[in-house]
Amino acid sequence: MLNYNSTIIEAKEFSDIKISEVEPTLKINLRGKNRDFVTKIGKELSIILPTDPNTSSGNKELNLLWLSPDEWLIYSNDKNNLKTINSLEDKLFNDISKTKLGSVTNVTDHWIMINLKGPKIFDMLSAGCPFNFNKFKDSKGAVTQTLLNHVDVIIHNKDINNLNLFVRRSFSNHLWLWMNDSARFV
Amino acid sequence: MFLINCPYCGERDQSEFSAGGEAHIVRPKQPTELSDDKWAEFLFMRKNIKGVQLERWNHTHGCRKWFNMARDTSNDKIHAVYKMGEKPPIK
Repeated sequence: MLNYNSTIIEAKEFSDIKISEVEPTLKINLRGKNRDFVTKIGKELSIILPTDPNTSSGNKELNLLWLSPDEWLIYSNDKNNLKTINSLEDKLFNDISKTKLGSVTNVTDHWIMINLKGPKIFDMLSAGCPFNFNKFKDSKGAVTQTLLNHVDVIIHNKDINNLNLFVRRSFSNHLWLWMNDSARFV
Repeated sequence: MFLINCPYCGERDQSEFSAGGEAHIVRPKQPTELSDDKWAEFLFMRKNIKGVQLERWNHTHGCRKWFNMARDTSNDKIHAVYKMGEKPPIK
């Protein structure tokens, strides 16, 4: 946590695709089931927890992604310093985990966030992904968890032709190289 | 390759799922009083019919939730998908 090292060094730009790593960003995994948990999160972050499948909510700083009926991911839009990451985690941990409303796990080091931009990103992803992006493309804020080149990923449709992709740290270099390869051919 | 309609996430490719074997097998209430044969029957013996079978599936690479499915084993046609704890809608 204190020494942040990444295997991904530079941003890459291709004719219609731009790929860059956005790190370190805050990421917190939330789990909880009851109504108290949902209202508490809403109060703490002043963001309503998305309960519809494959959706997200957020404000200027934070995004809340739906992962499963009782699981969510919080992530920050911009790079943070590691102190702010710890302070939000502590706050949520004290108010939610300690009161047994749900569970809060800091997954900042678990996921790597990669930003994809450009009109051809979906063509690039489709080269190694079974997910149907037709509706996903146009719905802002849509979230999906799927496989990309056999690697588990979370994809968040931030804006039109602007995606944030989360991949596990150990797979990040492999997927990064695959994306660079794949981007050359679309 | 076929599509499975996850009760939580919607239609996804079959490669995101993993099969969990036959559904609705009830655990014996008093395992200590069972004979070894009966216990083995509960643990290992599964129907493997040609036709519609009730199965458990897990959306491993998606929401990671378990659910049940009525699938025809001869042609992979999915007749129904329902959540854990719900009664099978057919048969």
